[in-house]
Amino acid sequence: MIETVLAITCIGFGCSFALAIAAKFFAVKEDPKIGEVNDLLPGANCGACGYAGCMDYAKAVVSDDAELNLCAPGGSDVTASLCEYLGKTAEAAEKQVAIVLCMGTDDVAKRRFDYNGIADCRSAHLVGGGDKACTYGCLGYSSCATVCPTNAIEMINGVAKVHPELCIACGKCISACPRNLIKLVPEKNTVHILCSSKDKGPVVRKVCTSGCIGCTMCVRLTKEEESISMDGFLAKIDYTKEVQNKAIVEKCPPKCIIDTSNN
Amino acid sequence: MIKLILIVISAVLVNNFVLSRFLGICPFLGVSKKTSTALGMSGAVVFVMTLASAVTWLVQTYVLDKLGIGYMQTIAFILIIASLVQLVEIVLKKFLPSLHAALGIFLPLITTNCAVLGMAVLSIQNKYTFVETVVFGFASSLGFALALVLFTGLREKIDRSNPPKAFKGVAIALITAALLSMAFMGFSGLVKI
Amino acid sequence: MNIFKAKFKIHGGVHPKYRKELARNEETKKLPLPKILRISTTQHLGAPSKPVVKKGDYVKKYQLLAEAAGFISAPVHSPAAGTIKDIVAGTGATGAPITEIILDTNNTSDEDLVGVFPTNDWNTLSPETILNRVREAGVVGAGGAGFPTYVKLSPPPGKEIQTLIINGAECEPYLTADYRLMMEHPKCLVEGIQIICKVLNVQDAHIAIEDNKPEAIEILSKYVEENSIPNIKIATLPTFYPQGAEKQQIFAVTGKQVPSGGLPSEVGVLVENTGTTVAIYDAVVKDLPFIERTTTVSGYGIENPSNVIAPIGTPYQDLIDFCGGPKDGVKKIISGGPMMGFAQATAETTTTKTTSGLLLLTAKEISQYESAPCISCGRCIAACPMNLMPAELSQFCEAEDFESAAEHRVMDCMECGCCAFSCPAHRPLVQHFRTAKAFLRAQPKK
Repeated sequence: MIETVLAITCIGFGCSFALAIAAKFFAVKEDPKIGEVNDLLPGANCGACGYAGCMDYAKAVVSDDAELNLCAPGGSDVTASLCEYLGKTAEAAEKQVAIVLCMGTDDVAKRRFDYNGIADCRSAHLVGGGDKACTYGCLGYSSCATVCPTNAIEMINGVAKVHPELCIACGKCISACPRNLIKLVPEKNTVHILCSSKDKGPVVRKVCTSGCIGCTMCVRLTKEEESISMDGFLAKIDYTKEVQNKAIVEKCPPKCIIDTSNN
Repeated sequence: MIKLILIVISAVLVNNFVLSRFLGICPFLGVSKKTSTALGMSGAVVFVMTLASAVTWLVQTYVLDKLGIGYMQTIAFILIIASLVQLVEIVLKKFLPSLHAALGIFLPLITTNCAVLGMAVLSIQNKYTFVETVVFGFASSLGFALALVLFTGLREKIDRSNPPKAFKGVAIALITAALLSMAFMGFSGLVKI
Repeated sequence: MNIFKAKFKIHGGVHPKYRKELARNEETKKLPLPKILRISTTQHLGAPSKPVVKKGDYVKKYQLLAEAAGFISAPVHSPAAGTIKDIVAGTGATGAPITEIILDTNNTSDEDLVGVFPTNDWNTLSPETILNRVREAGVVGAGGAGFPTYVKLSPPPGKEIQTLIINGAECEPYLTADYRLMMEHPKCLVEGIQIICKVLNVQDAHIAIEDNKPEAIEILSKYVEENSIPNIKIATLPTFYPQGAEKQQIFAVTGKQVPSGGLPSEVGVLVENTGTTVAIYDAVVKDLPFIERTTTVSGYGIENPSNVIAPIGTPYQDLIDFCGGPKDGVKKIISGGPMMGFAQATAETTTTKTTSGLLLLTAKEISQYESAPCISCGRCIAACPMNLMPAELSQFCEAEDFESAAEHRVMDCMECGCCAFSCPAHRPLVQHFRTAKAFLRAQPKK
């Protein structure tokens, strides 16, 4: 009986001794903080912070003094907990959402030809420049909706629409769109011009009845605020300012300006 | 000599630990998503099983049998296997940190992997000599590696092929594993041991 | 006997219905000058040429309209006298944006031209002078790619050319423009070959012709023999698509393999299209710029399929009207050949130096399909002339795993369409690879 206990105890001691020596010789110095910071992050591994996943950002925060407000999905909550853990202060970054700057749905925008191919915007764009008559408009084959990790993008009548309450601003939809129609804008800005066509007014009118015709009415109505300017024949909002004169929504002739604060 | 060759063929093909004996399914399903991870896991298992076979045989012959405490086999073997796995984890963390991160939880799970314990117990049961035991240990780990890498290749291709929603992930993996298992049944009768 | 059978067999290829009998037996016709020409400044591979005329200018026939912009570029000349109505943005045959120079040719004469200086004996000209004439005439690869010819004829030092191959294969279905050229102008073709041989200092030249053109083979063989030109041989090739592809043709005739990502000059071979060779002859001997070319207008959807010589900048509608107009039931208009050409959304697109064909296809000649998942049948792998694995590649592309596609050599794909043609599941394979290649090209270089 006693030999059994002794024998097993010896084996046990032998193993632990070997392990202790190995642990000493092969020790890896790792800052335990990195693991703990990683636990504070959402774990979406979306890359919006600019690093390759949450662990990478955690390493950068602990070792390279990275900014604490880079986590878009985490938002101000994660920034606050990171500040608390590391004892630093940082300003929470402004919450941003993605928006698709096109409203050329199939009832207002024409298609040039019958497209028979892969239902993917990048592929469709390579075939004859895309089947939409407007060469700037949304093709509607949902490449952006497929990559969105939170299913925030819905295809409505051939055009993509982002639901801002679901958007975590990771930026994946922006890289997926072959026409660069999607932009990240501050969540608090509610007025948007949903057109990206740089063509002249009559050309736009022929292919889409909701496109910006470059009449400059909105620029004139917001002259004092200086919140809208013309980029060639396209009106563009300056998102660092808030648009005060909401009358431009009614006055725009093709009705391509929207105000999301009403929804 | 012939017996050693037959042991190898039997352990790798005829009585493959994963596909015929159904031991070690956990890492088989858990680490078979990417070929690079699967190869890393196979390397770890080869190391553990070969060393474990040697050490357990020595402990069985010179401690357990000598003292007549054969009934402590399970505890003693698990002690040894657990320590070996911990050793592998420490070494990997030092020299191959990316593989260590990729394997994650499945590395310590080699401990509870019935394939290792099964191999140790089987070699005692079959009354192999020391050399035969080590060869058996090495060959069974090769069999595990073969099954794992084959299965990973299949799984990568199937995941790319966009299976129906109800079958995605583990479901189609298990069906594939079953079919692979049936394929390996074709080797039965290859050797008489 | 100067005819020999090319003995190296290429892997892959397909046998579509060629339907060349539609437009092969009639003489090439000349299109009456259209009233409005819209000449693109992107007539070639490389930088688009820069216009040197402006709105309202009056230009003479053969006058320079746009100059070459850089080393890999070519000048564009006016095919007729007329007034520049405007210079606008337009859309090319591939759907890419281009700049068009609109020329109004109403009330002008064909005799109102810039002076040309033909030569009686090109043999007295130095290789540099010949090359200069080719460059200034704006000669580009008429086979479809439009690579500036004078760049091709100036291989970098260390890459001397030993063999010249003239591509008379014309493997695309329906197209017979090069065939008619060989039948009607053997002298221009053969002299063009001799000019190229002089410039490159090459001894051996082959004219590669598929064996479905026996009359062309005979005419050329007889001409070469009667004029005692020992260094030109006719190589007959088995008929299949894509026998006319550069790398495949080099292998079939010489047995040499062009390395992946490399150029034919690396194995000492140069391949030139028949149309380009005749344009070289015109440029050097007649001092004419490259301003018109033969286009095959064909398909079951056109009343009178034929080969038409038309000036660059001719709207497709003019070609269609000249050939009797469309029949009922035209479903698709293709610029180029049916395998690698581009479907058109409008007949207002204009011809360029590389427009080899204009096809009006009816429902029975095309297929509209629903694609299904890959069944791993392997037909595409058997058909691929570049020895790639389209089944694997398309699965990577569908899963958007473009890095793995790059590892499996998707950049070597020449988009010939053999795989998509053979696929029983009607998968859009070429479109997958184009998407992958566009994605990989847009990546920053590591």
